[in-house]
Formats: sequence, structure tokens, C-alpha cells
Amino acid sequence: MMDTMDYLKGIRFADFTWAGAGPFSTKLFSDFGAEIIKVESATRLDPVRAGGPFKDGKPGVNRSGYFASRNTGKRSLSLDLKSEEGHATALELIARSDVVTSNFGPGAMERLGLGYDACRAVAPNIIYLQMPMYGAEGPRANLLGVGMTISAVSGFIWHTAYKPGDPIGPGTHYPDHAANCYHAAFAVLAALRQRRQTGEGTRIELAQVESTINFHGPTFVEWAWSGEEPAQIGNRSPSACPHNVFPSDGEDAWIAIAVESDAAWRTLAGILGGAATDESLATSSARLARIDEVERMVAAWTAARGAEDAAETLRAAGVPAAAVAHARRLIEEDPQLAARHYWQSIEHPELGSTIYNSPPYTVDGERVALKRPPLLGEHNDAILAELRGANPTWRASE
Amino acid sequence: MAQTRPYTGVRILDMAHDYARYATRLFADLGAEVIRVEPPGGLADRHESGPGAAERFAFFNASKRSVEIDFDDAAGRRAFEALARDASVILVERDGPMFDALHELVTLAPQAVITAVSPFGLGGPLADAPATDLTLQAAGGMTWMSGRPGEPPLRLPGGQATMMASVYTATVTAIALVDAEATGRGHVIDVAVNECIAHSLQNAIQVWDLERRISMRGGEGTRDATEDIFRCQDGMVFLASPLSLGTSWKSLVAMLAEEGHPSAVTLSEERWQDRAWRTTSEARQAFREAFEAFTAGHTKQHLTEQAIARRIVLGPVSRIGELVDDEQLAFRDFFQTLARPDGEAARFPGPPYRFSGDHWHVSPAPALGEANAAHGNA
Repeated sequence: MMDTMDYLKGIRFADFTWAGAGPFSTKLFSDFGAEIIKVESATRLDPVRAGGPFKDGKPGVNRSGYFASRNTGKRSLSLDLKSEEGHATALELIARSDVVTSNFGPGAMERLGLGYDACRAVAPNIIYLQMPMYGAEGPRANLLGVGMTISAVSGFIWHTAYKPGDPIGPGTHYPDHAANCYHAAFAVLAALRQRRQTGEGTRIELAQVESTINFHGPTFVEWAWSGEEPAQIGNRSPSACPHNVFPSDGEDAWIAIAVESDAAWRTLAGILGGAATDESLATSSARLARIDEVERMVAAWTAARGAEDAAETLRAAGVPAAAVAHARRLIEEDPQLAARHYWQSIEHPELGSTIYNSPPYTVDGERVALKRPPLLGEHNDAILAELRGANPTWRASE
Repeated sequence: MAQTRPYTGVRILDMAHDYARYATRLFADLGAEVIRVEPPGGLADRHESGPGAAERFAFFNASKRSVEIDFDDAAGRRAFEALARDASVILVERDGPMFDALHELVTLAPQAVITAVSPFGLGGPLADAPATDLTLQAAGGMTWMSGRPGEPPLRLPGGQATMMASVYTATVTAIALVDAEATGRGHVIDVAVNECIAHSLQNAIQVWDLERRISMRGGEGTRDATEDIFRCQDGMVFLASPLSLGTSWKSLVAMLAEEGHPSAVTLSEERWQDRAWRTTSEARQAFREAFEAFTAGHTKQHLTEQAIARRIVLGPVSRIGELVDDEQLAFRDFFQTLARPDGEAARFPGPPYRFSGDHWHVSPAPALGEANAAHGNA
């Protein structure tokens, strides 16, 4: 692992984000060497610090694994932003920062006296990111939401369904963990390049609903071109069969199989044997017309086998297949993730040694080495001393 | 003089055809010159058929250029080499051109960030294994997280393996480009789609590591009874009113009381103060009966207005076609108009983010080889 992938060294964030999507976004920058100063409140705790899972199941502000996973490599400065002194400290920090990030509701940063104009007054070329759910203004600007609300209003819940008219939705706050955090990071990276070219800062507004609709972009274009709602077909495919999740031997054990060509079907039929080899099923249109019958043939074969063994057999023959993995399997049994050294362990004063996902790539053949997340207010003394060093006329009493 | 946009001056040779297509689109919308370098007849995504294929192509390849280059022909190689010499980024994808020629690319373009995207990464026992969106969502742990207990796990719709892989690809490529532009030395990035998916599982990894529990679809035992979708007069709404979430629960019960609905009494019973009980299937059933007895008489719009006024965490479950009627998106003028291949104007998603500068622009996906005269060997 490499400790020197500090490509973003020298870039400082005054990071006011909390909960899920915002911190997951700024973590990317600290993992690559930027200095992310996480401004926290000891009285209005980041809800993810108060949310589990906790080390040994025991709650504590420094014991949340969820918080840890979103905040690697950051520094923590706890301030009371509603006090005069806390506000002055925040502005002093912003004056020495390149980027200000937040994901509060509309108007919250302004009420704290940390709106764009206030920040630009002390840092003229600041990059200023806000991530309101639905945008700063408009009839639904003040609608409150969590990640699943964003899934609901963007069409994701409707489209995540086993069958027509029976929406279920993603089982997680999905937009928080992919669309919004990484769109936000990409926008900040773009604004940083713009500043390198022009010397000018940028204000960025990421309305999380709009960001998430882009994650559903092709589906929206389908509606726009045809006027028809996309099919609610779950794990099936409109053009291929068999293409589903099938039961495997074992409790709640499943295998995904995707036959996307007639050649792949011939291979699978050879493995299944019996009625599957019937020539009348040679084309995808014929199989789609008899989809229940075809799926029963596949399920009869999968139900008698372990998911991993069956997937290996199919993949070796060239048929796309995978056991439906859960977290324990990913961590303890996935041979591919293990071979690529995907999991990292980091020591932490309260969490002990715990497991972290590596960023999902290597750079020049190496993993990005993660650094541990901060304790609440861990860097208060150091950061205040640095601010005083940078500006001797300013004093923050402790 | 042309206005400076964030990726002005950046040339990207784009050989993505599946999981990385959206990554290069993000750069193209912000001013990069993204050139699809296509073998004779086009990259694989031009040959997809079936429902949604043309629309996927239009979305993923908007704002890009296209050159058609015969890699097996001497003039074609020279044209490619000329493009590569000035490239800031070269993006290749498994089963596409140049994916097996990374060393050659490094030699040709030592200044460039070379990003290689593949289902399972460049090494390991599954490096060459066949894969699709469905099998990757299963392998990466996403499928497990959704669906109903008692029914199979459910993948996310709309090709989410591509979306997840692409945003990780775009961000790491942009970061490596910071260093490449500063030092003149490129980097080789190896993105594994299954790893991107395993990186997007909320807190499931930590739930196992710290508490030895496996997160279950349906959320029984973890998710509050109120966090679900509920039927109303003209569709469905999503609600979240756990006791931990602001005043959402208090406001919800107050609304029912003010409306004189009998469910206000039911939901004021002492047991609703018990957080653990609220995650049980008994609580879920009881809440659904009580709440839907109320929502059955109200529309999505009315409930949404109430939610805004009363600070309840509730929103409408929208169909795709309802997005263009969403009053907030209309107020913000979110949707764009973009020509379809047949020349007809159609609505198109607007930007995922807005800059104070005029940085984001979208244009229709290119015809095969439309930029040959400028860059190709034709």
C-alpha cells in the first residue's frame, strides 16, 4: 500500500458536511492527501456519530463504524457555531481554506453567518459546495428528506419492483452512497481545475434529487422518447431469458444468472440437460414467451447446489453468474476481493482494529492507504494553534 | 475567445462501452474533448439492441465526439498515436480496444492518466470471468440489500453497476489528472466494478465487522416501522418518522390529531415510544394499518404539502413520467431539450450539479466517425 498518493496535498477544506452523503464525498479528498477539517458540534452531534453500528454494540461518539467509514483521514474541530467565538473561528478557518462544503437544508449556512457571500468576503476565490435535497428555492425546497425520500421523488422507488405496480425501492438510502457523494466530489474537482486555470472560485449547488435523476438518466430518456413508463420487472430483462435470481441450496441462499445470448443459453442448456436442450427454446424470444417454464428449469438445477459452486461451474463455462453476496461473505469469503487486497484494517483508540473498504481501484498497482478517522474535537488544539500562527492578530480564546 | 470551462484543454480518448460510459460523459459536459475512439463499425455499445438500448446510448454518449479508427491498419495506428500523444486521459474497458495493451499505451502517452475499467479488476481469480449488471450487483453485495423477506433479493434498476462504477472512475481519474498535470507524469488506474458496488453498501460492512450482524432486506429488526412506502388516494408516499428523526413523529401524530383521525389515538399508545418494538413486524403491520387508514383519503400532493408545512419527512413516490410534472423541478427548470437521432426534440435530464459559472453544456451523442475529418484516418 502507498502512503504517498497525496495528489491533493495542499488543498484545505472547511468541511461542514454531516450524516451520509456529504462526508462520503469529502472523504475522497482526505484519502488522497487533502486536509479536510471536519467542523463538528459537540452539542448537535453528527447523526452518524450517534448512529450504529458501534464497536461491540455499545454506543459512543467515537464508536460508530458508520461514522468511521465516512471520515477516514479527516481532522476534527468541534465548535459552537452559534457562539460569536465559534463563528469567528469558522471564518478564520474558511479564510485559509480552498473549499467550503456543507449539506444542511436551505438557508442553514446563511443563518449561521456562513453563506456564500460571507465566505467570499474572507476568501475571495473560495469553492463553495452546498447539497440541499431539492435545491435552495422553490415550492418543495423545504421538503425534509432522507436518502430514501430522494429515491422516492426521483423515480427510483417506483422502478425498483418485482412486478408492475408493486414498488419496493432500494433497501438502502442508495442516493447517499453513490450518486450524490460522488457527483459532489466530481463537481469540486472540476471547480478546483477551473480555479487552477482562471484563479476564480465557484459556487456549486448540488440538488440531490437532480443528481439522483441523472443516476436514472437512461430510464428517463426512455420515457421521454416513448412516453411509456419503464417496465417494472425486477431481476428479469426485457430482452433476455433466463435472467434472474434463483434459489440455491441453503438458507436464504441465492444465485444470479444472466443469459444474454442464445450461445450462452446453449451452454447453460447443456449443463441443465433434459427439457432445456429442446430446440424450441433456442431463441431468446421463444424463451421469453415461456419464461416461467424456463425459470423453473433453471431453479430446479440451482436449488440442488450451493450458490458458489454453481456460480463457479457456470462462469467456467462462460455463463455470467454470481452468488448473491452479503457483507460477511464479501469480507470473509470472496476470493477476488481477498486476492486484490480490498479490505484494510486500521487501528483506532476506541474502535480498535476494524475493517474498511479500500477505494475501489488501484493506482499504479497500489491501494490507497487509508488513515484513521478522527475523535470528536481531536484536533482542536492543533488547528487553533495553526490559525493563530497564520494570523497573530486573531485570537480565539479556548 | 472560447470561454474557459473546468476541463477545457483536456482530451480524453474514450474506449468505454459499458460500465465506464457515464464517467467520460461527466468530463464531456464540463468542457473536456471526449473522443470515442471506435473500431470499424463502432464500439460495442453501438451494437446493443432491445428495449432502451438507443436511449442508453444517447444518455451515456451525449457531449462526446467520435472517430472511427482501424487499429489493424498502419494509417489507423498513426492516427491513434497522434491522438494519444496529446491525450490527458485514455480510458479503456475490458472486452474493448486497447484494454490488453496497457503497456503500449503507457509508452505512447506517458503523460496521460490511463484508466482501465473491468468487472473484477486486472488481476485475481475472476479477472476474466463473464459478468453483467445483474451478476455484478449480486457479487458486489447490492442485490442482497433490497427486496422483500421471503422473496429473492432484488437488484437495483436501470443499470446501476454502470452508474456506480462510472462515478468512482470519474473521480479517481480527475484526482490522478491533478497530479499528472502538475508533474507531467501519468498514472495507471485499475477500477474494479465489483469493488465499486461493495463500496456503496451503506453501513453493511461495518454492521458485520462491529456487531456481527448481516443487514437484511426489508429492514426487519433495524428499520423503524414508519420508514416505508404507503398507499394513498392516487399512488404512494414514502415516510420516515422514527423517534430519532427531528420532530417527524410528533408532527405526524399531531397532524392526525388535528384532522380528527382515529389513528391519532392508536399511534399515541405507549408502545410507540419503544424504539426496539417499532422495528418488529408487529409494529410495521400496526403502523401500516393506522397510517394508510388516513392516507387513503388524501393525494400525494396534499400529503407532500402537509409534510412541508409540518416538517414531516414524507415525499411522493413518483413514476418516471411524473418527474416532468414535479413542481420543484419545473420551478428550477431542470429538464433540458435535446434532439433525438431522428431530429425530434425530446426532454433530457439536466445537470447533476450547478455551477455559478456557465460550465455545464450537453449536446447529442455523436454519429460514428463524425470527427474523422478532424482526427481520424478516414
